[in-house]
Amino acid sequence: MTAGLEHYLVVSAILFCLGLLGVILRRNLLIIYMSLELMLNAANLAFVALSRFNNNLDGQIMVFFIITVAAAEVAVGLALIVALYRKRQTAHVEDLTLMKL
Amino acid sequence: MNLSLSILEFAVIGAGLAILLADLWTPVPQKRNLGYAAAAAVGLIFLASMLMQAAAPAYAFEKMYVLDGLALFFKRFFLFAAVIVLVMSVEFADRIEAGIAEYYALIMFALAGMMFAASANDFILVFVSLELITVTFYVLTSFQRGRLHSLEAGVKYLILGALASAFLVYGIALVFGVANTTNFGELMGSARVASARPVFLLGLLLVLVGLGFKIAAFPFQIWAPDVYQGSPAPTTAFLAVGSKAAGFILLLRVLFSAVPEITVNWTKLLMVIAGMTILYGNLCAIPQRNLKRLLGYSSIAHAGYMLLGVAAMNSAGSSAILYYLGAYLFTVLAAFTVICVVMRGVEGDDISAVAGLHQRSPLLAASLSLAMVSLAGIPPLAGFFGKFLLLKAVVEKGATQPGCYWLIAVAILGVVISLYYYLGVVRAIYWSKGSAELSDIKVSWPIQVSLYACIAAMFYLGLFPDRLVNIAMEAVKALKL
Repeated sequence: MTAGLEHYLVVSAILFCLGLLGVILRRNLLIIYMSLELMLNAANLAFVALSRFNNNLDGQIMVFFIITVAAAEVAVGLALIVALYRKRQTAHVEDLTLMKL
Repeated sequence: MNLSLSILEFAVIGAGLAILLADLWTPVPQKRNLGYAAAAAVGLIFLASMLMQAAAPAYAFEKMYVLDGLALFFKRFFLFAAVIVLVMSVEFADRIEAGIAEYYALIMFALAGMMFAASANDFILVFVSLELITVTFYVLTSFQRGRLHSLEAGVKYLILGALASAFLVYGIALVFGVANTTNFGELMGSARVASARPVFLLGLLLVLVGLGFKIAAFPFQIWAPDVYQGSPAPTTAFLAVGSKAAGFILLLRVLFSAVPEITVNWTKLLMVIAGMTILYGNLCAIPQRNLKRLLGYSSIAHAGYMLLGVAAMNSAGSSAILYYLGAYLFTVLAAFTVICVVMRGVEGDDISAVAGLHQRSPLLAASLSLAMVSLAGIPPLAGFFGKFLLLKAVVEKGATQPGCYWLIAVAILGVVISLYYYLGVVRAIYWSKGSAELSDIKVSWPIQVSLYACIAAMFYLGLFPDRLVNIAMEAVKALKL
């Protein structure tokens, strides 16, 4: 049996949902951030599969952009989380309570 | 390939890099003055943009990039906003420990992202320009890294912003999968066939989620108050004006030039979002004591008013959004310039800090009060006419969609609620007792110039709206309405 387009799309949807669940349920900033990357990579997988099965290279170009942007985002994001950790000695979302309604 | 079309963006990026380089040879005490050089450079580019014409849409980068009247309108808008924000950040320089030149450069890079967003004609450019704006704003919000509020705002913006871009990207992937293209022009051709596929609609909805986050529309508005409160004041100003306007231009382009046939079926959805956004913003703003947080909630409410123009789905509505953004630009920049000057050394940005401001500096007091009055929408200031145009557009729509009258009722209710908290600020300025600090505030001349310019524009737009209305009507002809 060869893997068809549906298989790739289902895996990508599962990855996306797992990432979303991670963002909602986990309490550690670093793990939340990893889950966000998982969501971006789910989109990457969908793009690559769709562009392969549609014979359209545009999707693969988009993947290059997403990878680049995700790398930039990680660089900034980790720097921010490290800066916060130095100040508060914590990377948990429960401790981000300085500003509230 | 026609690179000369994007000359303005390249000029902004070049100027930003020049500021970064100049930082290497500038002695430390002079570094903050680089901001004036940056503001002058952006001002020159703004003047150059006035010379550009866009009678017919011109395309570049395989039709990814379009230069039409709408794009040019927004490019001028962003350039003007950046000039004032740069002047403001020079005033703010002593509150940033290190790297002030980088702060100026990042503002200019965010500006370049907004200008690319104004010209987006392809989902790839939508994503890349939006990320250019968002990633630079992560840094700009947390630039006072010694202050815990600033860091916390940065982290919150980071997590929720990255979540929104993940939704956006996944949505684009689904749209691409069904339509086999990411270009708006080609999408419009295939949208009628594709609209029968639920996956395509799901993809568009996810894109809408990503853009709704940018403009802080209900229910994606959670980040706005915290980020507005924690960020340095110039960042907040640029976030309120630039980032929001970039979200709106992208929303207009996606809804009305990529998939106009599908958008027509979404009237009810957009109406509900607009109504909820107005109510949420205005109701939550009532108990706020922190001025920046108050403006954060008020910016949610204003996003709701502008969504009225989107929900109206006619050219009157879209041109009203453009007019409203023009009015909002001057008003919000005046307010944040005053906040930036007054809140020096005040922790917490509490409203009580502006108590007795009319004795300390009449100009600042007048600017802030006029800004509040204009935001509330009281004639003859610019904000009134903007709301009037938006409501007029919705009334026109009401003939075919009776639900519109409910929407108008909600919008007017929102305006009435907002009078309370806007006028509360004015009361604090002129009539509050027992203000501790009564020393005069020195206002530097560039700040004075930008405040006078904002006040003049607020009155001009309110008293003689014809010119901007005509320009806005001309600009929205680029959309398929």
